[in-house]
Amino acid sequence: MAFDLDPRMVLNKLAFGPTDAELGEMRKSGAEAWLARQLKPDAGDDCAERIKAAKIHLKYTSKNPDAEVDEDRSLGVIDQPIEEHWKLLDKSVANNERVFLRNAVVGATLIRAVHSRWQLREVLVDFWHNHFNVNAAGDSTVAVALPAYDRDVIRAHALGNFREMLEAVAKSAAMQVYLNNRSSRGGAANENYARELFELHTLGRPAYLNALYNKWRDVPGALQGHPQGYIDQDVYEAARAFTGWTIEDGAGIGAGRKLPLTGKFTYVETFHDNYQKRLLATEFDPYQPPMSDGNKVLDLVADHPATAQYVCGKLCTRLVSDTPDKALVAAAVKVWTEQRRKPDQIARVVEAIVRSDSFRRSAGAKIKRPLELFVSFARGAGVDLVPTLALIGTLDGSGQRLFGWGPPTGHPDENDYWLSSSMIRARWTLMLGLVEDYWKAGVAAVVPAIASRPTPEAAVAAAHQRLLGSEPPPQVTAAILTGMGLRPGISLEARKDTVPVAKRMLAYCAMTPAFQTR
Amino acid sequence: MLTRRHLLAGTTALSLAPSVRAFAAPAPEPGPVLVTVFLRGGMDSLGVVAPVDDRNYTADRPPEMRLLADGDKPALRLDKAPAGLDFRLHPEMGALRDLYQSERIALIHASGLANGTRSHFGAQELIERGLANPDDTTHVGGGWMARWLAASGDAKRPAFVAAAGVPEELATHADAIAAGDLRGGMSVPGGKQAATVLGHLYREGNGAFEQAGRRTLRGINLIDGRLREPDGKVAVYKPTGNATYEDTEAGRSLMTVARVIRMDLGIRAFTVDIGGWDTHENQPPRLAILVGQLSRALGSFHEDLHAQLGNVVVVVMSEFGRRLRSNKSNGTDHGHAGLTIVSAPKILGGRLHGAWPGLASDQLDNAVDLAMTTDIRSILAELMNGPLQTPTAVASSFPNFTPKKVGLFA
Repeated sequence: MAFDLDPRMVLNKLAFGPTDAELGEMRKSGAEAWLARQLKPDAGDDCAERIKAAKIHLKYTSKNPDAEVDEDRSLGVIDQPIEEHWKLLDKSVANNERVFLRNAVVGATLIRAVHSRWQLREVLVDFWHNHFNVNAAGDSTVAVALPAYDRDVIRAHALGNFREMLEAVAKSAAMQVYLNNRSSRGGAANENYARELFELHTLGRPAYLNALYNKWRDVPGALQGHPQGYIDQDVYEAARAFTGWTIEDGAGIGAGRKLPLTGKFTYVETFHDNYQKRLLATEFDPYQPPMSDGNKVLDLVADHPATAQYVCGKLCTRLVSDTPDKALVAAAVKVWTEQRRKPDQIARVVEAIVRSDSFRRSAGAKIKRPLELFVSFARGAGVDLVPTLALIGTLDGSGQRLFGWGPPTGHPDENDYWLSSSMIRARWTLMLGLVEDYWKAGVAAVVPAIASRPTPEAAVAAAHQRLLGSEPPPQVTAAILTGMGLRPGISLEARKDTVPVAKRMLAYCAMTPAFQTR
Repeated sequence: MLTRRHLLAGTTALSLAPSVRAFAAPAPEPGPVLVTVFLRGGMDSLGVVAPVDDRNYTADRPPEMRLLADGDKPALRLDKAPAGLDFRLHPEMGALRDLYQSERIALIHASGLANGTRSHFGAQELIERGLANPDDTTHVGGGWMARWLAASGDAKRPAFVAAAGVPEELATHADAIAAGDLRGGMSVPGGKQAATVLGHLYREGNGAFEQAGRRTLRGINLIDGRLREPDGKVAVYKPTGNATYEDTEAGRSLMTVARVIRMDLGIRAFTVDIGGWDTHENQPPRLAILVGQLSRALGSFHEDLHAQLGNVVVVVMSEFGRRLRSNKSNGTDHGHAGLTIVSAPKILGGRLHGAWPGLASDQLDNAVDLAMTTDIRSILAELMNGPLQTPTAVASSFPNFTPKKVGLFA
């Protein structure tokens, strides 16, 4: 289907909201050309210079005065390889240094969401970070591993091939630490990673046939070699298969020897459970070559039809609506399966989803999550966005704690979750705090143009146009004017408070249901 | 008698604009209060309450992974334990043991979900929906607490969630107020002007966002004024007696619940979520911290609400217990039955309830996990029949289920 949609709608759903520049670009070249470019972004980071120039304050005390830090630290530190970051795990290093790395990745994420021209990639990076969730806010070892995880695993594969991404995740220090596979040993393996691999990363909970527990022959299709789902016994077997997959974290390997301290992936044969296994009705012979068992598990789950169904369903929920129709998911599954050996499998699936009739009809179907809300407001209001600790702290409290969600599910993607009274209050705070610059995150460039309008209704109209590209409905204008005690038609020209008035108008326009959804 | 409610009425009225009074507390005479505390991640019940002299227990777990009768910190002895075994409580749970000794709480071991799922999210969903069969989730709407409120005539009363997000227990309940921490107040950012704008902005329309906006403004109007001094500052909360809450997830959220209960707003349903129980790795120190925080928070909560306890029921639950045999990460993997802690007036407290299934291989569920002998729904049904005084709500709270007698009440 031709991709000739309203530019504003496209930028609301496949970007972090419209900017003047992108609206202009899309109107000139057409949505079709925009989509083609977005599906094949440059490999590099077009925000690298901005990220390097951005600084977040870092301050801590120490018993040793020379080791005290009180400085603005560049976010550029996230470019370093993992072995550099891993050094921060040394006991002599203050924990603040580890926490800084998570803040730096959050800051870089905000900068890219506002400024990167590769907006679709940013949207999908957010999707995959939730799909392959790790918690860097709750565990400083994960924080240290986060820059490499974000850069080399999630960003590198966000529009790429799922099987390759899955392996990169399995081998990443962040996931190895978060779901404990690094400490799993043959004999009594740790099941944490194996279980979530099935339930959350690949086949999904709908394919968990727990009632069959250990009766693998009873799984439909199993005796033909195509089991429709997985059982607990598959989880136990997968846990055995991944023993030995670990990271260089200084763990003992016998005779007083230890693994180096780099955070890089490694395989330790003596940790591995070498005996035969049976997983998803497939026999694994004993004593296979190094990592063969784990790779075979990844092949089986990545290729499984339930994985196509589950992950495509989640992509549709993210990009279209909470209740995507079956035909849409089926169309995505078809592309997913046909393209599963291709390096741009995910880009092709996304293209199929957004070219659908369902996508065309889905404007406003999703409540923006706090990141989307905040960034789309910054883009619409012309805030350059300087990440600060105060801003990150407020975002963390908004319900969407980037790289800091505890359970391995990632943040919920259903509208209801984001509508609790606690979240709604946090959303209002995000809007008001941005225009009033609570967090020193930058000023809204559009305010003077709103403040210079002759009457309050003209000012509200200007604010609404900026954010939503349309005239405000009469009840919106009435609500704002009534609440602010401004009679329609009065002259604003002689007033000294037009700038604060304009800021409030902008924030209130952002609190309308129309702006809070995408 | 001059109650706290009367004392506060004056300041509340003064601090609220006239238009706001329409939102004042629902009709009086609500029934007793139910607080559910959900331990997310699967609490290792066998590391919290266990028969320390059971030979399967001692054989299947290394000493650091189990409760011990001796050593520096022996586990705390529990009286009236079944089967002639020496059941003990985690040594960090002194406050809970005091509540047990005072017979305010009962422990129901080998309890939980009547479904074998070892998935966190599957088990949580079923427990919160009040179901055991996943097929029922397609045609039974909402969470069990929401259905309980509806069947008790309390569908219009707000429920209170001491967390940012509303848990599935309350799914489909029309009015839940969510606030994890009230120490900063619960006002509209932007003050009175913003409150007026938003009141008008969301006045009409039945979109999800307008409804949520209206609900949020109602919750703010109900609670924020009660948190403030006459000068408008947020009052520092003063618990009763010597109660002091720690600044932990358990402490903060139970303090928030106690504070709202003491406002006497007619709210019957409260939920608390405490995360971090998924101890696949390095369990001993993590579990010790978690159970200590939980125990002390429950101790403070009971002291703080000493005067209200005749009207308060607390149930502490988790989605499942954990594997009897530990793994080589010094952790435990997902298991089956777990532990339920109940605090209620007139409970047969200070004892362990429920049949103890044993820990031998042939007594375990699938030969690996503690078997379930008490369905969590039977416990909740008994509370509805007893102290919650809502016996007619049992059937719709737990459809397709016949509760069995647990014996929590005489």
